[in-house]
Amino acid sequence: MGATFSEKVLGAKAGKKVKAGEVVTVSPDYILSHDNTAAISQKFAQLGVDKVKCPDKIIIILDHVVPASTEKYAQNHKIIREFVEKQGISNFFDIHNGICHQVLSESGFALPGKLILGADSHTTSYGAFGAFSAGIGRSEVASVWATDKIWLRVPDTIKIELKGSFARGTFAKDAILKIIGEQGADRANYKALEFCGRAVKDLTLASRLVFANMAAEMGAKNGYFAPDSRALDFLKQHARTDFKPVFSDSDAEYEAVLKYDLSILEPQVACPHTVDNVKPITEVEGIKFHQGLIGTCTNGRFEDLKVAADILRDKKIHPAVRVLILPASRKEFLKALKKGIIEVLAEAGCVILNSGCGPCLGAHQGILAPGETALSTANRNFQGRMGSRDSKIFLASPATVAASALTGKITDPRKYL
Amino acid sequence: MGKKGRLIEDIDTDQIFHNAFLHITELRQMGQYALGNLEGWKDFPGKTGPGDIIIAGRNFGAGSSRQQAVDCFKSLQTGMIIAPSFGAIYFRNAVNSGFPVMKCSKLADLIAGGLLKSGDKIRVNIRTGEGQNQTRKEAFFIEPMNEVQYNLWEVGGLFSYAKKTKKD
Repeated sequence: MGATFSEKVLGAKAGKKVKAGEVVTVSPDYILSHDNTAAISQKFAQLGVDKVKCPDKIIIILDHVVPASTEKYAQNHKIIREFVEKQGISNFFDIHNGICHQVLSESGFALPGKLILGADSHTTSYGAFGAFSAGIGRSEVASVWATDKIWLRVPDTIKIELKGSFARGTFAKDAILKIIGEQGADRANYKALEFCGRAVKDLTLASRLVFANMAAEMGAKNGYFAPDSRALDFLKQHARTDFKPVFSDSDAEYEAVLKYDLSILEPQVACPHTVDNVKPITEVEGIKFHQGLIGTCTNGRFEDLKVAADILRDKKIHPAVRVLILPASRKEFLKALKKGIIEVLAEAGCVILNSGCGPCLGAHQGILAPGETALSTANRNFQGRMGSRDSKIFLASPATVAASALTGKITDPRKYL
Repeated sequence: MGKKGRLIEDIDTDQIFHNAFLHITELRQMGQYALGNLEGWKDFPGKTGPGDIIIAGRNFGAGSSRQQAVDCFKSLQTGMIIAPSFGAIYFRNAVNSGFPVMKCSKLADLIAGGLLKSGDKIRVNIRTGEGQNQTRKEAFFIEPMNEVQYNLWEVGGLFSYAKKTKKD
């Protein structure tokens, strides 16, 4: 019997053959943390260790509340900068770089076969490049800083076979929402998702990031795409270090195989207050909302901003709504800026925010009032996430949010594309 | 937890510990916000006491990696949480904190069968999974802790474990 990607990566790290279900102690390649580094560094201090064991494995990216919105957050950032200095951590990205998952990816740390752990649930994202990446907790990060070791349970794998190509007006976001809606938010708890099938080769890396990012919303430990020529071409330019792609064996054992045909997909919307409360757009069209959000680590890359601009070009957003643009990173923002996309969005009446997490988790820059509704391209719509607990969040693709921004109510983007 | 014997499912970390209090780093300050964003449970911190066992529906702790969602219960000295399943990172966080989170796939049946009700006095053996409802004189079973979970629980969590390994 062959081995899955996850069994192989964790087996290589553990130095033995392992099967799903086993618990292994391993040493990760990179450990990510963000603004929560302030709290983690305090935990680290409690361990009674002076220096982190492997400073070069540590990646710190400030993104959650940037620039600092209150004195408390400013103080946290200051603690982090001092910690970085003291520990000699070179992979530090201050507030001007963007959202951790995009910055880590575009900076060439997200590499095939690497084991990347992060104190953020959407660390699953790097599976888009063939890495094994998973979210862990704060105490664990402090402990890994000190010991360079962590226990992990080798996950069972669910294979998701994608075929066909996207019909007009549908995108990666619609596909992953459809999958989560059908399978449920806990279908993949403690499990790995392997995205494969004939459709994958046509998926851009940005689109693969949408799938891998939202694997977390199905409860998955990690999401994975086998690195192909598209991924390897990108990595030729960007990879920080050597890497060795790891693939599942053809006779590997899967817990389940799920099949989806992208060509019959309609635009999808996740309704309040869970990500698996998904309906086709035809069932929710016409619902009014107050704030649109286009961006985040899920859908804030160039291709997302471009499709929004294509819909909003030479038009104005509806006077009853406000629309926030939140690019995934400064690099993606600059790409869009140079192509005139930011100008189109600003002309249409959108508010251009600096890259960061801000409104997605209700930290700042666009909090919802009681009774308000948001239509967002983010990955999570839990009750109260963007502000008041009496507010609602619908999740959709950038095209759907852009089309809806024109009418002030949830609108099928196929009418505008 | 839930009314009329129905367990609430998919209680997410935003409901357990809201974003607005994420800047809090002191354990003793966290308890007052536990379940503060869960409909109908805002008064939970005032009503619960040390050693109380929380019974919840499937996928408890779905969502974010925030550790306060575990620590707020430690802050209140909650005895343990039993649910059919947990959010993956939530489960890790709890295991690493040395806080008992226990799985019981038959939880809904126990409640539907009247073997377990809110307010009952129960004891659970985390090594064997044997449970006793002392109020109703009924026995039940949950999944025992696995080896890693038990080892971390025994020393009081990953931190004590890491300190210990550092010395070894």
